[in-house]
Amino acid sequence: MSARILVADDNVANLELMLYLLRAFGYAPEGVADGVAAFQAISCGNFDMVVSDILMPGIDGYELARLMKSDPRLKGTPLVAVTALAMSGDRERVAAAGFDGYITKPIEPQTFVSQLQAFLPAGPA
Amino acid sequence: MDTAAYSLADIAGSRFPLLEYAPDATVIVDPHGMVRLVNAQTERLFGYYREELLGQRVERLIARYHGNQFEERSVYFADPQVLPMGVGRELYGRHKDGGEFPVEISLSPLSTTEGTFVAIAIRDVTERIAFQQRLQELNAQLENANRAKDHFLASMSHELRTPLNAVLGFTGTLLMKLPGPLTAEQERQLRIVRSSATHLLSLINDILDLSKIESGKRDLSFEPVRVEEVIADVYAALSSSAQEKGLDFTASAGAQLPELVTDRRALHQILLNLANNAIKYTPTGSVRIDTVLATWQGSPALEISVNDTGIGIKANDLQRLFEAFEQLDPTSTRRFEGTGLGLYLSRSLTLLLGGGLNVVSEYGTGSTFTLTLPLVGHTS
Repeated sequence: MSARILVADDNVANLELMLYLLRAFGYAPEGVADGVAAFQAISCGNFDMVVSDILMPGIDGYELARLMKSDPRLKGTPLVAVTALAMSGDRERVAAAGFDGYITKPIEPQTFVSQLQAFLPAGPA
Repeated sequence: MDTAAYSLADIAGSRFPLLEYAPDATVIVDPHGMVRLVNAQTERLFGYYREELLGQRVERLIARYHGNQFEERSVYFADPQVLPMGVGRELYGRHKDGGEFPVEISLSPLSTTEGTFVAIAIRDVTERIAFQQRLQELNAQLENANRAKDHFLASMSHELRTPLNAVLGFTGTLLMKLPGPLTAEQERQLRIVRSSATHLLSLINDILDLSKIESGKRDLSFEPVRVEEVIADVYAALSSSAQEKGLDFTASAGAQLPELVTDRRALHQILLNLANNAIKYTPTGSVRIDTVLATWQGSPALEISVNDTGIGIKANDLQRLFEAFEQLDPTSTRRFEGTGLGLYLSRSLTLLLGGGLNVVSEYGTGSTFTLTLPLVGHTS
C-alpha cells in the first residue's frame, strides 16, 4: 500500500507540480493550500509524511513544524520543507523549527520524489 | 603661562593678551568659587557684561554641575593639575537670558602673587553635540537601509524562485515525458525553455552572491582543501558539455599538490566559472586545467590555470573583462552572452580569498585565465 503523503503549498502551480510528480511515481498525495488546512488534515488523517512550504498565510511552515513536533502523536511523522527560502541561514532556521528535511526551490523534477523517499520510514512505495 | 610673578590685575591687563582674546570663555575663580576675572569670550558666550560677573559665584554660569562641586573644587585645590571636565559628564553653561547650552570645561591652577586661583576654560560644544547626534542619526538610518536591503534581497530571492520552480518543474516533467510522448521539435523547444530558465536562475544567484560580497556578508570558511578534489568536481560537472561540443577537456592536477587553506565553495565557484566560460567560448580544440607551484608576491603560491583554444579576447576588451555587466554592453562584441557577472564575481571571490586572477589572451587563438592563491603556512 502506498505511503500517505500530505503536501502544503499556497502557490497553486507549485502545489500542483509536487502532487503531479508524486502521482507520477505511484503515490496518492493529498494537497492543501495553507498551514491551517495542513494542520487540520494532519490532526485528522494518518500521514506517513508531510511536505510543506514555509511562507504560507495563517500558519506558516515554521509554526506548523512547532505544532507537529510538540504533539506526541505527530512528532514522529517525517516533515520535509520545500521552500524558496534559499539564502544563507535559511537551512539552519528550517532545521531549528523542527523540519526533518530541507529541499530548496526550484526543485529537481528528476530527483524530487527520490529525495522525499529518503524520509519515508517504510521505504519506496 | 607662567604667572607666578604677577598679580590678577597684571594678568587682566595687556601683559597677557592670550587670556583676553582666548577662543574659550575663561573665568578665573578664587578658592571660594568667586569669579575674579573673565575674558571677552565669556561676555559673548554668556551675555553678561564682565562687571556683572565679578564677585559672583561661578555657579551663575554653570548649570547642572554633576556631583558636589565644592567637594570637587577642594579636591582640585589639594592636587592642582590640569583637569579636563565635561568629558562623559553633562555640563551646561547658563546664559544671562536663562538659556542653557552644553559646555566642556577644563580647570587649571593659576599661581599669582595673591595666591593660587583656578582658571576655568569653558567651550560651547553645542555644534559638536549636534554633529554627534546627526552622526548617530545617520548611522541609524544607514543600519535601517542595510536591513531594508537585506530584507529586499531575501524576498527577491524567494519571490523569483517561486515561479521559476513551476517553470523548471513542469518543463522537467514534460521532458521526463511523464504526461506523454514528445515530438523531436517539442523536446528541442522544451530544452531551450529549460536552459533559459536555468540561466535565469544562475543570474539570480550571481546577483545575490554579488550583493553578499559587496555588503561583506559572504561567509567564508577557510579550511584545508585538496585542490585536486575541487578540480575533479569541476571536471565532472562540465565534462558532458565539453563532450557535446567535441572538445578535448583535460584536468591535470599534480599528485604532489599541497593542501590549500581556502574557502572550498568559493574556489569551486571560481574554477567552475572559468572552465565553463572556456568551454562556452571554444568552438573547437581543447580546454585544459593545469596546476603549478609558483611564487607570488614573494611567497609560495599555487597557480591554477584554465587554458582554451577558443575565440580569444581582443586586447582592448581585456581590461573591461572583469567589470560587472560588461558583457551586457550592447556595443561590445557579443561573445560573452553569460550573465555578465561571472568574471566579476570570480575576481571578487578571488580577492576575498587573498589571491589574484589574471588573463592572457590572443584574439582568435585562445585564452588562459590564471588563478593564483597564496600557500599560507606551507613551504614550497
